Amino acid sequence: MRRLHLHRALLPACLLLLVPPALQSQDLGAVTRQYCTSCHNAEDWAGGLDLGSLDPAHVGHDAETWEKVVLKLRAGMMPPPGKERPSRDETERVARLLETRLDAQVASSPAAPSLHRLNRVEYANAIRDLFGMQVDVSGLLPPDDASNGFDNVASGLGISPALIQGYTTAAMKLSRSAVGDMTATESTTVYQMPANLAQDRHLEGMPLGSRGGAAITHEFPLDAEYHFSVRGTFALDRNPNVKVDVALDGQRVEVRNLRDFRLPVKAGRHVLTAAIFDVRRPAGVDNIYSVYKVEGALDSVEIGGPFNATGPGDTASRRRIFICRPQSPQEQQRCAERIVVNVATQAFRAPQRLEDLGAIMKFYARGQAEGGFEAGIQQALSRILIDPRFLFRIEAPPPGAAPGGAWTINDIELASRLSFFLWSSIPDQQLLDLASRRELHRPDVLAAQVKRMLADKRADALVDNFAGQWLYLRQLGTVTPEIEGFDENLREAFIEETRSLVQWVLSHDRPVTELLTADYTFLNERLAQHYGIAGVRGSHFRMVKLPPDSHRRGLLGHGSILTVTSTASRTSPVIRGAWVLENILGAPPPAPPPGVETNLDGDGTQVITASVRQRLELHRANPTCAACHGVIDPVGFALENFNAIGAWRERDGEVPVDARGTLVDGTSVAGLEDLSVALMSRSQLFVTNVTTKLMTYALGRTLDHRDMPAVRAVVAQAARQDMQFSALVLGIVQSPSFRQHGTAPEITRLAARE
Amino acid sequence: MAGFITRRHLSRRTVLRGAGTLLALPLLESMVPAMSAVPAPRTRFGAIYFPHGATMSRWTPKQEGRDFGFSEILQPLEPWRSHINVISNLGHPLAYGPGGATGNHNRSSATWLSGAKAASGAQPRLGVTVDQVAVKYLGQDTPLPSLELMIEDASLSCGEGLSCAYRNTLSWQNDLSPLPMQNNPQALFEQLFGDGANDAQRAARRAQALSLLDSVTEQIHDMDRKLPAADRERMDRFLTDVREIERRIGQAGERVNGHVTLPGKPNGIPDDVEEHIRLMYELLALAWQTEITRISTFMMAKELSNAVYPKSGIRDSFHILSHHSNNEDNKARFAVLNRYHTTLFAGFLERLSKLPDGEGTLLDNSLILYGSGMSDANSHNHDPLPIVLAGRAGGALEGNRHIAQKQLTPMSNLLLAMLDKLGCREQHFGDSTAPLTI
Repeated sequence: MRRLHLHRALLPACLLLLVPPALQSQDLGAVTRQYCTSCHNAEDWAGGLDLGSLDPAHVGHDAETWEKVVLKLRAGMMPPPGKERPSRDETERVARLLETRLDAQVASSPAAPSLHRLNRVEYANAIRDLFGMQVDVSGLLPPDDASNGFDNVASGLGISPALIQGYTTAAMKLSRSAVGDMTATESTTVYQMPANLAQDRHLEGMPLGSRGGAAITHEFPLDAEYHFSVRGTFALDRNPNVKVDVALDGQRVEVRNLRDFRLPVKAGRHVLTAAIFDVRRPAGVDNIYSVYKVEGALDSVEIGGPFNATGPGDTASRRRIFICRPQSPQEQQRCAERIVVNVATQAFRAPQRLEDLGAIMKFYARGQAEGGFEAGIQQALSRILIDPRFLFRIEAPPPGAAPGGAWTINDIELASRLSFFLWSSIPDQQLLDLASRRELHRPDVLAAQVKRMLADKRADALVDNFAGQWLYLRQLGTVTPEIEGFDENLREAFIEETRSLVQWVLSHDRPVTELLTADYTFLNERLAQHYGIAGVRGSHFRMVKLPPDSHRRGLLGHGSILTVTSTASRTSPVIRGAWVLENILGAPPPAPPPGVETNLDGDGTQVITASVRQRLELHRANPTCAACHGVIDPVGFALENFNAIGAWRERDGEVPVDARGTLVDGTSVAGLEDLSVALMSRSQLFVTNVTTKLMTYALGRTLDHRDMPAVRAVVAQAARQDMQFSALVLGIVQSPSFRQHGTAPEITRLAARE
Repeated sequence: MAGFITRRHLSRRTVLRGAGTLLALPLLESMVPAMSAVPAPRTRFGAIYFPHGATMSRWTPKQEGRDFGFSEILQPLEPWRSHINVISNLGHPLAYGPGGATGNHNRSSATWLSGAKAASGAQPRLGVTVDQVAVKYLGQDTPLPSLELMIEDASLSCGEGLSCAYRNTLSWQNDLSPLPMQNNPQALFEQLFGDGANDAQRAARRAQALSLLDSVTEQIHDMDRKLPAADRERMDRFLTDVREIERRIGQAGERVNGHVTLPGKPNGIPDDVEEHIRLMYELLALAWQTEITRISTFMMAKELSNAVYPKSGIRDSFHILSHHSNNEDNKARFAVLNRYHTTLFAGFLERLSKLPDGEGTLLDNSLILYGSGMSDANSHNHDPLPIVLAGRAGGALEGNRHIAQKQLTPMSNLLLAMLDKLGCREQHFGDSTAPLTI
């Protein structure tokens, strides 16, 4: 404090009264002294921070700390409630000045990701794009660990003996299925219906007029006979009121005994449908969507085989692999070489010369000697699938690169970065062609390719993997709410609604902020009923314009988010508040200190008359708790009109819902609508946060304070296009970070976020 | 290191007396068999975890010593009394730390078998776990050095800046290598018994796999020269594991020949969680019986799991109920869930007790740690931990005892003592101060 007074004495006192629009560094010093250093000083050391010892004229010396300051200011979290604080305008000016200074620093070289290996999702997608096969690799490869919220962060993707075992098994199995495995023995797959799936209505993808049931996509390994067993509850197959129709690719098949029948099936992917029709229904009513309470539902479908196989058939994978067919033994070698070069080029994501594929051709030769041409191809494919050039995304330094320095990646490597970012898969022919001609990096070409890629079906991966992890949608698959009205149908509808919104905003060049404000959403009948929105019939999803008084505008009104931020039995304003701070604003609150009581549920057997809110208010009377919960809880309170599965409610137990609260910056909010307005007033922060997360995902590495200038540059560029989600994607792709491979040591935590 | 060192000193003194010296010489491998109480080489080692601790007042037996009365939660183990030791008052000091409740949950499973501090940050860093130390002694001649099993899927989101690895596995090969756990019984079956319909096909595929791995090894040697140093390091790790799998496949053929009848291959993951757990125990018993592996870790549920166990009679989700608010009724209901888990574990012991192994049963020749890295989930503390030892470690361990330690005795002391019972001569493990006398 003594040192501080000395500083203050050197400054003209009037300066503080005249903070001009364009701040100067001495003013910055004055501002911090007026508002910050009474707590953030060398003695009190609040938050482990002494701002008095830092020099605002040279923010580059303490960039990591100043980035934290920027975040706290932008989020309106500092100075804390009850302390003197500058006006919103003034705060923004200070933040902007700091950012300008930070951005002007010479960027240190971007941290290099560890050697990236494909994760499970990328591996499965690569197999799909190589061979046109849908495979479930969860039984083949061990699960990946996520780091910093994403399972494609290179440093979190470990290598283990189990992984190598998995790669080996997968390479052999998948190559056999791709070529057609005549040695395949009988195996059975059971498709089990979720226990909690209501089958009293029509389900999407099923024949009109049916209820429940299932449409199962199955890869049949060979042209052969297969055994089927369709099982239901309540003796579905013997109930005279119910008829079960079985169809293969939409063609009805006659079945005598549902539990035990055989069908000849051609090799490849086919859809088996087991549809339930209620036979006795009153004539003359809408027989498409009406609800009949006839008991009996589909329980499981078993598919076993192959039996009496006649051949490998004509599958998508065989068509892709066998680009030539040797007509004579003399042609075999040349044809094998063409096949191997073709598959290896796609799998290794770079043009291949035959002379670099000697190891693979050896496997062709071995297999050919043992079992002929196709056996040789199968062995060669198994070798390709375990090649490090397939399993790892290797970026090699260009000739003459200084050891330890950063370098710009070449077009071929850029093609892979693009495809793994936008498709979670390998590049296609067009990308590789452009890369081979060294055109891909040209800004116009790059922009056109990003546009093309985002419009491609494969870009669903960006929604599933990026948004699925960012918004916790993946967790929705495993939550088990114990609230009346929740079932599988609702769970699936929740996921679909949020997926659809993200998909729409991304593919229609809509502002990313529309995720919070959209005056439309995506519903089917089940979800519309849950939301109390009339006029939506049927199981398919469609865009629905929301009325002005709707409570469903934006993500925060989605059942998905509201459910995944609740406990099994009640809402949690704390989880919801923390979720918004972390995933919307990018300013996560610290975790509670150890040993604190966090249970609000009390004795589960007693009737709790106090609302969750009242119980939390008690808890916040404790000053230790209030410091953080004063920031977190009000955000969650604003969402209290939604129950633990996102249904609208006016009462919590016996108590009327009180959705009012005062946010940390002093804004009073009551309900989702107010909260959205308050969040939108900090939309810059939201966009910066989305960009930070998207860039983490795009680069597959942890970001730190050194990356923040790059993040802000992307945001600034996107601001010229209305903050379009697609502009953020393009901005990231065009940023130097995306084009560079650096070798600086990786910092393990996003420092600006601590 | 009282108990352990003393005994070692005694043995060595016997050997070295003639030389008239008491120098602390490194223990020679060849001396091991000469020592007394060396366990049978076939001892199996298991560590079975449940998260969120237990209602300790209903876990800890009232009396100490031999012939103690079983507590409410542990009562299902009573039929195997002669193979049970309850060890009380152990704690894991390194499991305490920052990050609030979530941090404490993460560290509970991380520290349990490592006795090491979990680092924060995207790069998970911990320490070698006790099972992997045992692998060095007992897992070198089996097709699988060890087996890591769990029930739930791996977590995908564990909060920013926190690696999920701490919650997704109990087993670490070294400080940087968490070993993923398998939860799919079908994949486990193939991992144990191979891919293929019959012995001939399995043998042919093993040969193919070996030549694939061999070829990759050669390739990595060629590639290495062209890679930047950091990438080379990672590729070398890959190579180490490639060699390891080569070795395992090489041995696999020798194991499953004719003397066991394999059950039908499971189809995916059972819907019912109890059936899933029982199936994993069944396969684990089979893996031990055939000695495909001798060392296994199994996480019946992960920290922060909100699994519901319909057959326990309790409908609450696991983690939520563990926050009992010190309400006696909640604690009683949580104890019902704890006891239910004990029942499933008891089912595994029953299975082992029926499988002949050497002179006795597989249970005689096993040493199984059963417990949690958390004590009371309501306060997220890590002492006193609920810990049971089952099995007689091939005769190296007595049973029928409740051994109460001094409060706050490091759990690592028990882990070190267990290594000793397995014949793994380690001076030190994790944050151990001395081996426990058990």
